[in-house]
Amino acid sequence: MTDELVDRIRDALRVVIDPELGHNIVDLGFVYDISVVGDAVRITMTATTAGCPATGFLEEGVASCAAQVPGVGSVDVEMTFDPPWTPERIEPAVRAALGFATVN
Amino acid sequence: MIGASISRWTMSYFAMAVAWLFVALALMVAGVGFPAADLAAPDTLVLVHVICIGWLSLAMCGALFQFVPVLVARPLFSEKWALPALALLTAGLASLLAGFLALGGRLPAWLWLLPLGAVLLTAGFGLIVVDLGLTAWLRPVGPARFVLVGLASLCATVAFGAVFAFALAGWAGSVGQLILAGGVPLHAIAGLGGWLTLTAMGVSYRLLSMFMLSPDVDDRKSGTTLMAGALAIAVTVVGGVLAIGLFAGLNVVLSIVAVLGLATAALYGRDLFAIFRARKRRQLELNTRMATLSFASLAGTALLGAALVVTGNFAAHVGAFAFLAVFGWLSGLVLAKLYKIVAFLTWLETYGPVMGRAPTPRVQDLVAERRASKWFMIYYAAVWTGTLMLLIGLPSGFRAAAMAMTAGVIGIVREVIRTRQLADVASPLRLPGGARAPHLLFARN
Repeated sequence: MTDELVDRIRDALRVVIDPELGHNIVDLGFVYDISVVGDAVRITMTATTAGCPATGFLEEGVASCAAQVPGVGSVDVEMTFDPPWTPERIEPAVRAALGFATVN
Repeated sequence: MIGASISRWTMSYFAMAVAWLFVALALMVAGVGFPAADLAAPDTLVLVHVICIGWLSLAMCGALFQFVPVLVARPLFSEKWALPALALLTAGLASLLAGFLALGGRLPAWLWLLPLGAVLLTAGFGLIVVDLGLTAWLRPVGPARFVLVGLASLCATVAFGAVFAFALAGWAGSVGQLILAGGVPLHAIAGLGGWLTLTAMGVSYRLLSMFMLSPDVDDRKSGTTLMAGALAIAVTVVGGVLAIGLFAGLNVVLSIVAVLGLATAALYGRDLFAIFRARKRRQLELNTRMATLSFASLAGTALLGAALVVTGNFAAHVGAFAFLAVFGWLSGLVLAKLYKIVAFLTWLETYGPVMGRAPTPRVQDLVAERRASKWFMIYYAAVWTGTLMLLIGLPSGFRAAAMAMTAGVIGIVREVIRTRQLADVASPLRLPGGARAPHLLFARN
């Protein structure tokens, strides 16, 4: 049940995109962890740049998106830059589409 | 939220800056000021200050209100000061320009307008220096250090300018007259080299890294670049004032500054190569491709300056040198980054609040790069042609180049306005439920 809820939350988060890269934050590897205790959800995520105004909107977007998933009671989103995001976290197909250097 | 929010008045600064840019272009097309008039003529002073304060400084301040908080990942010290500062700067510039027109006999001899303009500009820039300085000081590392040195240079520039304004009105005594007689190069170097160039360099490090997903340039390397630039400005201000006070002439000081300036440009070039080499995004967006033309213009400015000094022609062609620095390097970079910053901020303002609730477009969906690129190419080609016309002494050719620059800028500004109006966003995604179209001239946050 918990795994299924985590999967549903992960799927729902695909509506949230990084505005610069233009792909959803799940495929970009921004979502580090989703943990569920009862109906309380805790999402640990990152972004490309600390201090960027988009960071706050991403955080709020993830919170409101997850809250709409049936079975979710409360949502706590933690934005972290440790470890920092790297393009290696992107799904390979998306990375190729973005024209990223594969080795850096 | 970690760090920054959307700056409410950045768009207002950009709009006012663009308005002044059109004034400057109109003056150049009409043949008002250099090269039709002498470099020190009142008409040229009008043109120079419209460009440097009205266009470049306002655009830079607008960008800094948004990006200093990003650089230091802390909120702006006071958002409330931005609009009064814009009003003071606008009134101050208008007064200063009217004073120059009075100086040239185009208005009655109301020379008191010059000190009035200086006081208003000092107040406006003072608010900005305190606001941005206190914000950048919270975390003075990396590019933020460039901004701090840039702001210090702005203080020196304003101080020189204020002394000149009071001296021209006859209110600054013999010391003021002495500084006015010898200090104009110091004012220009502190403004163009310190305030505008060092600040642009600092912001460019962060913007390039951010938009190309490149690691930040090594702090020691950018620190060396900044050290060379800061030393150049310190020698300009301290050495220059001492030389004037000792009646020693400025040749030695300016020679040292020229060497340090060349070293700064070379070190900056080295840093840029490192950022481009390490970028994760291999495909460059239009704003970055066009910024590279401004970097090429900076290299061209440095080479031109060196060649003119070696051949003993610098004094005769200082106008062409300054024109390439101002329109190729600084204005080119500002226009390229304006194109990107407006799209990015417009996206955040419109779609940020509905993220997670509805599908949203990408930032790149707000722009039409292919259409915009031709206007940038026209602009840069015109700037380089204009520089050549000044070098070969063909004022009519320069005015034709200024017309082409105007066409390029009109095209770019039209694209930026379309971005702000979401005109190129396909309709299903354009305004999802809950999203509000942005206001053209300010952020609704």
